[in-house]
Amino acid sequence: MNTKATSAPEADVQDFANMSAALTGFLSSVLKPKLDPVGLARTYYEFALAQVGASQISALLNAFRAIQTQPPQTIADTLLETSSPTPSGQALLAQSIVAMWYLGAWYIPGVKGGGGFPPTPLQIISSEAYTNGLVWSAMQSHPMGFSPFTFGYWSQAPGPLSSFGVDTGNGGGQ
Amino acid sequence: MKKLIIVIATALLSVIAMALLLNAGTQKPSAPPPIVLSPAIPGDVNVTAQTVSIDAFQPDFDVYSWNTFIALNWPPGPDGNADPKQTIGSNGDNDTVWEHYRDVRNVFLPGGKRPTWNGPPEPPPAAGKMLYKPGMRVLTQVGKTPTVLTDFSQPFNTGPLIDQNGTYTRFEILTNKPMFDYILNNSLYSKAGQKVFTPPVKFTCGTLGSDGKPGVEGAIMVKSSWKVIDPSEKSRFHSEDVLVCSPASKNPKYPASCSVRTMGLVGLHIAHKTQSASQWLWSTFEHVDNAPTAADVKSGKLKPKYSYYNPKCDAATCPPNQIPPRPWNPTKVSSFHSQVVRNDLFNLPIYAASAAARNADAKAQLVGVSPKSVWQNYELISTMWPTNPGNCAAAPGDPLGHPAPTFLANTTLETYVQRTPPQPNVSSQCIECHNNATMTVPVPSDFTYILQRAQ
Repeated sequence: MNTKATSAPEADVQDFANMSAALTGFLSSVLKPKLDPVGLARTYYEFALAQVGASQISALLNAFRAIQTQPPQTIADTLLETSSPTPSGQALLAQSIVAMWYLGAWYIPGVKGGGGFPPTPLQIISSEAYTNGLVWSAMQSHPMGFSPFTFGYWSQAPGPLSSFGVDTGNGGGQ
Repeated sequence: MKKLIIVIATALLSVIAMALLLNAGTQKPSAPPPIVLSPAIPGDVNVTAQTVSIDAFQPDFDVYSWNTFIALNWPPGPDGNADPKQTIGSNGDNDTVWEHYRDVRNVFLPGGKRPTWNGPPEPPPAAGKMLYKPGMRVLTQVGKTPTVLTDFSQPFNTGPLIDQNGTYTRFEILTNKPMFDYILNNSLYSKAGQKVFTPPVKFTCGTLGSDGKPGVEGAIMVKSSWKVIDPSEKSRFHSEDVLVCSPASKNPKYPASCSVRTMGLVGLHIAHKTQSASQWLWSTFEHVDNAPTAADVKSGKLKPKYSYYNPKCDAATCPPNQIPPRPWNPTKVSSFHSQVVRNDLFNLPIYAASAAARNADAKAQLVGVSPKSVWQNYELISTMWPTNPGNCAAAPGDPLGHPAPTFLANTTLETYVQRTPPQPNVSSQCIECHNNATMTVPVPSDFTYILQRAQ
């Protein structure tokens, strides 16, 4: 479903960021900082909304809201249905959201690749999505063609995961 | 009944409180303090915003930029420092503080010689000796060094900028005393000194005084761009009679030459390392006649004349922002004229809106000093600042500090890196680009390329 997204309510975007923090293991304040020159949380929320429609996104967000006081790992396990061999459509949407944050690309929920390879993403969402993919921070590294680090960084040990915004304190990002 | 009224009233109050809370993140920013006509350089930005958002913060950074521009363009006394008894633009144009900074030609001397702050400048090139008069500024071409802004080519050696009269634009980089002193005290003015230096390079951070007072300036780097103007245009430009020199070239072949030209200031970058910006604050100003915006071109709202755009030439005949074809010969009048358009690199409306509001405030104040002030003809494009800066030392996971705006270009200094939609490496990003800078030895140089000029 390709529903044209309008400007989403800020409260929904914040809940989406909070849910994404639990799903990805990064801090919500990193995914949606108060001083946010890029605005990826809104971009991603509105992109997902346009891809799957309001009812599916709302259902996932409501599922998160119902358990948002739980530890992040519990939230992630619940929404991703990690113990289920056949995750529901809602869990597949949660998986696509995780992939979006990590890879800056949208993978259609439930579509699998062949021959042991991942599926082809529908699209890279933007150049900023590419350079801000969480995979680079989780690797304590940087994307090809763009490095935020200073010359010679490769000869030194990277900073701790916490300096990359990974939530290392309360069950996420372990 | 009374209970019911209390319940309804409580519910209503809760709804109002909730609405206020929800609006807190999106409410319009309150107005920042006005720009100040003062000779004091702000040591750092004074954040007065009551809410934490880009929309609320950007105006404070743009006020900082204008206050810095005014202080740097303040008339100096005999010692080169701002003279508080004078006022910017009271006589139309004036000598400026930043033009008494040390230009890099006089910092990185032949043979790695130790430079001085107040000593006599390096002699002009031989071709200009007969024309040179003591005190005259010299704009020289220093050869194209990749990734270094040379005196007639732009970053990444993308090419020269040629005005609508076919004349090459000239560039210059200068440092203030704190930056000069750091270079001097650490012997970074020579290759030999850089070789034995113990990293990291850490220039001085400016600090704000108490109660938002200007405080102490940190390392400041100024990049200026100049075009040859007709003396009749002096009333619109900050101008100066300058010795413009081009060294000899083998390809294309031309001999060294110098000439005295009346040059008008068309662009000014001001980079300042501050306590709140370990990635430096990047303010960029332009002359208002430089070039139209892409929106101006689209809407047809064009001035009759620009320095770098011909309104009578359509996009098919004169495609915008094209690198001039080689060979480049700054000693001759070029038949190719740069057709420059300012592309919109901003992803949030606040950047242009805040700059426009601050420009209007500054213009009103400058015209108030004198309707003939040339400074009214300069405009702030924007201020780039790190949103996650660290405390005068960048966080290891975020050396760039997530700058706002993400992209920023001066059409005279980054003409050819204005790609839209903006993308890293092909659209101008001050902090990202300067983060790659090193000295002549492979050591990061704290966001400045000038240390590569050491001999």
